[in-house]
Amino acid sequence: MERELNVGFIGNPNCGKTTLFNAYTGAKLKVANWPGVTVEKKEGAMKYHEHKFKLVDLPGIYSLTSYTMEEKLSRQYILDDEVDVIIDIADASSLERNLYLTLQLIELGKPVILALNMMDIVEERGMEIDLHRLPEMLGVPCIPVSARKKTGLDILMHTVAHHKAKISDSNLEHHHYMMDEEKSGKHRHQHHSEYAVVYSDEIEDKIDEISARLKEAYPDLKNERWHAIKMLEQDEEIMGKYPLDLSDIVDRSYETDIINQKYDFIEEIIEEVVVNKASKAKATDRVDHILTNRFWGMPIFLGIMGIVFFLTFTVGDALKGVFEIALENFSNTVLFALSWMGAGEVFTSLIVDGIIAGVGGILSFLPNIFMLFLALAVLEDSGYMSRVAYVMDGLMGKIGLSGRAFIPMLLGFGCTVPAVMASRALEDPKDRLKTVLITPFMSCSARLPIYVLFSQLFFEKHAALAAYSMYVLGLVVGIVIALIMNTFEKKKEINTLLIELPEYKAPNVHSIFIYVWEKVKDYLTKAGTTIFVASIVVWAILNFGPNGLTTDMSQSFGAIIGKWFVPILAPAGIGLWQISLSLISGIAAKEVVVSSLTVLLNVGTINSKEGMMAMNSVLSGAGFTAVNAYALMVFCLLYTPCVATIATIRKELNSTKWAMFAAFFQLIVAWFVAVLVYQVGSLIF
Amino acid sequence: MTLLEGKIGESYKVEDLTLNGMTQIRLEALGLTKGTTIKVLNNKKSGSVIFMVRGTRLAIGKKIAASIVIEGV
Repeated sequence: MERELNVGFIGNPNCGKTTLFNAYTGAKLKVANWPGVTVEKKEGAMKYHEHKFKLVDLPGIYSLTSYTMEEKLSRQYILDDEVDVIIDIADASSLERNLYLTLQLIELGKPVILALNMMDIVEERGMEIDLHRLPEMLGVPCIPVSARKKTGLDILMHTVAHHKAKISDSNLEHHHYMMDEEKSGKHRHQHHSEYAVVYSDEIEDKIDEISARLKEAYPDLKNERWHAIKMLEQDEEIMGKYPLDLSDIVDRSYETDIINQKYDFIEEIIEEVVVNKASKAKATDRVDHILTNRFWGMPIFLGIMGIVFFLTFTVGDALKGVFEIALENFSNTVLFALSWMGAGEVFTSLIVDGIIAGVGGILSFLPNIFMLFLALAVLEDSGYMSRVAYVMDGLMGKIGLSGRAFIPMLLGFGCTVPAVMASRALEDPKDRLKTVLITPFMSCSARLPIYVLFSQLFFEKHAALAAYSMYVLGLVVGIVIALIMNTFEKKKEINTLLIELPEYKAPNVHSIFIYVWEKVKDYLTKAGTTIFVASIVVWAILNFGPNGLTTDMSQSFGAIIGKWFVPILAPAGIGLWQISLSLISGIAAKEVVVSSLTVLLNVGTINSKEGMMAMNSVLSGAGFTAVNAYALMVFCLLYTPCVATIATIRKELNSTKWAMFAAFFQLIVAWFVAVLVYQVGSLIF
Repeated sequence: MTLLEGKIGESYKVEDLTLNGMTQIRLEALGLTKGTTIKVLNNKKSGSVIFMVRGTRLAIGKKIAASIVIEGV
């Protein structure tokens, strides 16, 4: 039995790496985090002929420095012998930039295979790549593929199976004599038959000297050339790991020189292997002319977001109807089955009023959430998302943030957890802190069920508008808070946007399907775990009181806990113990507010007209009006984020203090805004 | 002149980068090395610029744009 081969997928962002990875693994992948950090790690398994592969999707990166978490862990993963073969995916239509990472990977000294992706686009544009010359210059196999059209996939895996033990070797053939004598000629070094990238004599001398000293000090070290180059770049991580006194050689950082010389070599490669490179894509520029226009950019963005929410509510609601009927039938069937089996009253209550009402209520919002994530996936995959950063840069600059900070905020409409993680792309720690603190104010999809329920109950025709206003309000509160933080900041930094704008492309159906499926699966898992448990807990504290089992909920433990908070919430018009209790349970996950309320108000199900009416009459009976409902929606929008978000904030900022601050800060903000809304609203209506 | 003054549709040669630190290294790794030709694709009043370098479009904010010294070709 042959050992499983570990294959690492690596490449620049937007090179089609994920599409290629998905083409091999399909939806059967394991998503986890890299140990100790919140960077997503995707793993898949596949078989090709008699070979078994474990595929690992490394983060999309531009280089292998130790400046970012993603780059550091990719580098470490490759260095640690965990990987047998590296597949470096390059966007062949933008080879020049993509080859930079390739050269760095080759230098690492592990078996590398270059997958030239998007060959279909290269052909469309009339470009040609000399696939005989390219491997000669790089010393690694170069396989043309198209992840979108699924061509070349078998050949790539075939190469992996046969290339596993080979490190770039003597196939190298360079014609440096053709180049400028000043620049790269007259090498004293005989490295050209050994290494793809050979630097100037000055740097090569230093590399040789450092390599020799490294070998002496650390005899077990593999690939001392790479380590020597990193020492010349004064890479902190490597210098810390292998302390060595090199002050006589490394008089300054040679990082810029090394980068420049790599690009000189890349220019040489492009010169030799790319034919017809002049014909560039004009389509993207034409589209950008409109979408990033200084006047039209912003209105177009707002229009697109309007369409996204319109689809989320209308199409989502239409699908929701189908879901509700199915769920009600299920609930009735279970009720019938339980009574037929002669199940006890308490047990039936737990199953039907506790679990089915709680978890089922949440499941019916799945269509809305599906639509929202589908729309976000299309925006991302088409390449529009990064344009939003550019369009919003001016405005975000006014609140002291870069346009890039807008992407986490936008993603926050889907789910706060990945949105908080996305703030990592911001380089400045202060920018990150600010972005992480305001992102939870963006209304995530888990809060959507609350708006849908209450706006349908109290706003009838204007339901969609009432729900939409929550998104706007969340955005406004976030911006105001950023503005306040900005005025308190002593040193005013000017924003530092830096983002690649990929070519526009038709979204890949397969990739989007997998992305949305991941999110839907998360939601279902949450319904089956967190919400399931929360439903049982809420049911339990409602059916038991100081005197044991009770049928009168107002005598239960839940009521006692809820009543403590009634005086605090009363000024916001939501001073009902049922509401305060459901808000507390909502910290487990925001959807739980809805599932708890259905259990608390004893309406059985909200998935039917009768159920809705019952809930409406219970609330109206307690003096609840549209103003109260709106104040409740506002409070739910802004108050303490869910446990998962708090944990993510703690991990991303590496600070328990800031995570706790976020939790309490949001609670206070929510209270003030909700009180304001209720008090002003009561005066007007 | 700096990239802030770059005109839409014009090509320029990168003369110098005056940022230093990590952002500069990141720009260089993206192919913005001295002597490279870039083409300005968009330039807003707020100072945000889109330009093409080595076949890639990059969007940058005012601070970075102000630190890229360019010269007409």
